[in-house]
Amino acid sequence: MDSWVFITADGWSGALEAPRALGGRVVAVVVGPRELAEGVAAAGPDEVRWVEPKPGVPPEAFSLPLADVVAAAAPAVLVAGADPAARALLGAAAAALEVPLLPGAVGLAVEDGHLRVRRALAGGQTIETCAPGGGVAVIYAGEDAPAATRPEATIEVLGLTCSPLAIGASEPVGQASGLSDAERVVSFGRGVRAREDVAIVQALADACGAELACSMPIADDLGWLDKSRYVGRSGNHIAPALYLAVGIAGAPQHLEGVRGARIVAAINNDPDARIFQSADYGIVGDLYEVVPALVAEIDKLDK
Amino acid sequence: MRAVVVYKWSRNAADALVRADGSIDWRNAKMSPGEDDPAALAAALRLIRGGDDELVGLTIGDGDASWALARGVASTWSVEDLPALADNGSTAAVLAAAVRRIGGVDVVVIGDSRQEPGVAAAVAGRLAWSVVLGAQTVEAVDGRLHVTRRVADVRQTVVVPTPAVIGIAAESDLDRAPGMKELLAARKRPVNRIGLADLGVTAGDVQTLGCRRPETAPARVFAGDPAQSAAQFVSALRAEGVL
Ligand SMILES: Cc1cc2nc3c(=O)[nH]c(=O)nc-3n(C[C@H](O)[C@H](O)[C@H](O)COP(=O)(O)OP(=O)(O)OC[C@H]3O[C@@H](n4cnc5c(N)ncnc54)[C@H](O)[C@@H]3O)c2cc1C
Repeated sequence: MDSWVFITADGWSGALEAPRALGGRVVAVVVGPRELAEGVAAAGPDEVRWVEPKPGVPPEAFSLPLADVVAAAAPAVLVAGADPAARALLGAAAAALEVPLLPGAVGLAVEDGHLRVRRALAGGQTIETCAPGGGVAVIYAGEDAPAATRPEATIEVLGLTCSPLAIGASEPVGQASGLSDAERVVSFGRGVRAREDVAIVQALADACGAELACSMPIADDLGWLDKSRYVGRSGNHIAPALYLAVGIAGAPQHLEGVRGARIVAAINNDPDARIFQSADYGIVGDLYEVVPALVAEIDKLDK
Repeated sequence: MRAVVVYKWSRNAADALVRADGSIDWRNAKMSPGEDDPAALAAALRLIRGGDDELVGLTIGDGDASWALARGVASTWSVEDLPALADNGSTAAVLAAAVRRIGGVDVVVIGDSRQEPGVAAAVAGRLAWSVVLGAQTVEAVDGRLHVTRRVADVRQTVVVPTPAVIGIAAESDLDRAPGMKELLAARKRPVNRIGLADLGVTAGDVQTLGCRRPETAPARVFAGDPAQSAAQFVSALRAEGVL
């Protein structure tokens, strides 16, 4: 069962590794700069087919021409990660093959000769096993894969005529807040009741040697911290060793910003708060009591 | 410019009850406005600048179709017998058939949903149109679309010829409840109710073999006396080497 994996940006390791379990050839189709294709080739898929967009051409400009190539080769399995451009390529290819397209895939397998797709549902609370019947396209949403030690693949250049899409302008967004490379981040949400009380959380951040961050409503609606300091889908995407969430509910949009964190810890007075489903450690309690107790405990360490 | 805005086309994952064995009870959950729908609608409304410009709604399922009509859309279509499907490709094939039926469409604006991230892409695939996903805004300039989106730390404008599908990813919750006047006006606006048979399509789905709970370690949670919890918590984080 051969698989084609569409790659347009970093963060491809899990999507490239998942079809390995099927035992067939894994072909990486890379649309992007040379460094991206070389990085993928080094991970050792069976083949790399590389489309190099001219400057100012977005990867999506190749979605329809690539779909023709896919239709001719008719691989059994198509894979892309969450990246918008990779999904655009996948959508065109899946339509060309008229195969089902399943989101949320966390694993692929062959059982008794039949293809199986495992996918996360309801925010990852349960894993469904699907039997697609024939071929399938999946959007991979599982873990990243560790670097593999396979022989490097050779890169075959794929010359395609693109559709007339163009990147008109690019401008940097937001200013650096120091969050992106912080080792530790202490973050607070609407569990903090008043602007004056931010000092309580700041004291914890200082004690931990952490940067201070917040949930979106704290910056957007209340303005208690600068907008450059909120975490989540539309804010900062960070990967600290420790992310400590204080009085934050753990909305999925918020958690999208801390997927890369090594340890997520949370303080919340609601034992059923959603954040505890995604956290490694937690304290159930009133932050107004727990945070000062934590500061006192950490101060003891230094003595 | 003739635009279609697709809305209320999936169920809300928050309406799913996951039982102890991992099976899901949707508790008769109906299609509900997606978290990106308000942003998609706001973007689509800005494409309509008077003259011959027109914005048409498109929804699926047998729920209330008036959501968009009460928020500025003049008429809408509803594919009433399309259920919620696991297969994003199948959902997209029906939406694409409906867009063809509506006819003369230059742009489809649809939420680029985190929950169903294949639908917007597959609608474009089925129509064989250009597509940009993860977008925030779209504007018509000289017959082309100027689409903005965030790529890493850069805000990018992509210029796209029509016809095209634009997947809008909301950055915040933009929805506002319509007033009484808008709700009354919505009742007078036309809903074209059609079925799969009218479109000449079927809506197959993949077979499910069941669900189970993932094997994730639950959080270690301390509760009770704050000082004692704090001590346990700090020593656990020290042991992890993060404090
Ligand atoms: C399209 C879209 C994009 C979004 N993007 C983002 C984003 O990028 N980032 C983001 O953060 N949000 C985002 N949101 C908003 C998100 O859905 C949540 O509404 C938001 O994250 C909630 O913030 P919160 O946890 O601070 O507040 P709340 O939801 O009000 O939670 C407060 C928490 O504090 C706890 N609490 C209350 N009192 C105490 C106490 N005394 N001690 C301890 N705990 C206490 C409560 O139990 C609760 O869990 C987005 C929403 C949408 C629709």
